[in-house]
Amino acid sequence: MRGYKSGIYDKQEMRAAFLFILPALLLLILFIFYPMARALLISFQNYNLISANTSPAGLANYRQLFEDSSFLESLGHSFYFAAVVIPLQTVIALGLALLVRRVFRGVGLFRTVYFLPVVVSFAIASTIFKLIYNKDYGMLNVLLRGLGLPAWDFLSNPDISMIGIIILCIWKAMGFFMIVFLAGLNNIPDSLYEAAHVDGAGAVQQFFKVTLPLLKRTTAFVIIITTMDALKIFVPIYITTSGGPAQSTSTVVFYIYETAFKQMNMGYASAAAFVLFAIVLVISVIQLRLFRTDVEY
Amino acid sequence: MRKNRIGILAVQYVVMTLIALLVIFPVYWMIMSSFRTHEEIFKYSTLSWQLFFPVKWTLVNYKEIFMDDSKPFGRYMLNTLLVAVIVTFLGLIVNSLAAFAFAKLRFPFKKTLIVIFLSSLVIPYEVIMIPQYLLIGDLHWMNDYKALIVPQIVWVFGIFMLIQFFADIPRDILDAAKIDGAGWLRIYSKIVLQTAVPALITLGLMTFLNQWDSFLWPLVVINEEKKQVIQVAISSFQSLRNISWGKVLAATTISSVPILGVFLLLQKYYVQGITMSGVKG
Repeated sequence: MRGYKSGIYDKQEMRAAFLFILPALLLLILFIFYPMARALLISFQNYNLISANTSPAGLANYRQLFEDSSFLESLGHSFYFAAVVIPLQTVIALGLALLVRRVFRGVGLFRTVYFLPVVVSFAIASTIFKLIYNKDYGMLNVLLRGLGLPAWDFLSNPDISMIGIIILCIWKAMGFFMIVFLAGLNNIPDSLYEAAHVDGAGAVQQFFKVTLPLLKRTTAFVIIITTMDALKIFVPIYITTSGGPAQSTSTVVFYIYETAFKQMNMGYASAAAFVLFAIVLVISVIQLRLFRTDVEY
Repeated sequence: MRKNRIGILAVQYVVMTLIALLVIFPVYWMIMSSFRTHEEIFKYSTLSWQLFFPVKWTLVNYKEIFMDDSKPFGRYMLNTLLVAVIVTFLGLIVNSLAAFAFAKLRFPFKKTLIVIFLSSLVIPYEVIMIPQYLLIGDLHWMNDYKALIVPQIVWVFGIFMLIQFFADIPRDILDAAKIDGAGWLRIYSKIVLQTAVPALITLGLMTFLNQWDSFLWPLVVINEEKKQVIQVAISSFQSLRNISWGKVLAATTISSVPILGVFLLLQKYYVQGITMSGVKG
């Protein structure tokens, strides 16, 4: 403790520490911080890789974005997606966690199965679902027809196309958040349930009075992460619908991708990315405030 | 009362089994259909056992995807494996070195540096993707595996996960080794790394899976057909007109089943990683 207390650091130790951190720090600066600064700069420029000219644009990119109906619509699609996925997926994940919470025969198998889609890559999951959703030969509609139900055409009906994406995304991610909830549930001491039981609380009452309040931190984590992911959804859109039909599944990140790498309009796309960043940041901060919790156990 | 309990448990098993079947179905269907001929996939479109189980098992889809020279599937798998292994290896070294310094060593500006590292977690990938792409152009790394490897090595989330693990190593052990004349690099490799093997497996597994699944970045920086990685190759597979479903599903099966196998073997470590990030994070 000698060196630490008096504020004098061991020279050798100090040198070692800086050398150990250096590679990570250099990579961080080169590939995260420098691009971040450059993105901000580019967003105030006309920067198109095709016409290869760069000129200052001031706030023009940002101003144009707020009048750009396809950008605003893509924002709307992302919000719609997030507004459905966040509550639905969180409830499903919590439900699954409650189902497989107690240790009983075969529970490990169920946990593994529910978690399995998390390990399937998004590109592959999207590819499989695209085939399953096929109107004529897809398994979904074959089954529905077999049961005498009307067909669902997720790939070409703009009214329901987003629902197809939502189902795919929940299937893929629910197991991940189930594990997070399981960890949260395991942190609640059994003594609290015993006390609640002695006080005559039934299962439903126990859930609302003990489980849910004590899961607040876990739930906050799940909701914040889900929100961030949902607002940035891209891969399943790119693979299953390419933003269609009739632009009905074009999300913000899909819009940014198209603007940057199809139209090569880097300045405008960077501005759109910053708008998305600002939105995600504001929402996260609001969520953190809302979920600020005093519950300790 | 007791009878009631058993009833509830029975209902729970039934519900859990139904959900499990629903969850596993797309994966099951993918694997089964990859063993069907092109005709058979489209032949059965009514409810019958043939719908769920191949009638004539065949390996022709697998043979075709590996024989097709215009889409060298084996090459895609090797490309991806190469990139994923190198990123995992270098990432483990770079991130664990930084984590060790942050967790155990004493040096000035430690707090400041930690804040700098933490603040990078707020930056979304979508914002820096465009300048990263321009940077790769400036470095002349387009269509080069360096573009897939170097920017992916540092993973701040991984550093903070390791800091939590390393924090449990008592400083006394390190000081004792120091008195015995060991240098810090030696202490790191002989003591810290060896006590943190489970943590390193967790991080390595997560890194590897991230790299194996990586899609958007290779889509942008790799345009040369032969150098492409597997996820992008599969997506270009199924956007082709008239491609047989059997081939697409053979491709998705062969590129996901080994991963599922690895996961089943090491799922303890993977789940541990999620739990750490969720509960403590």
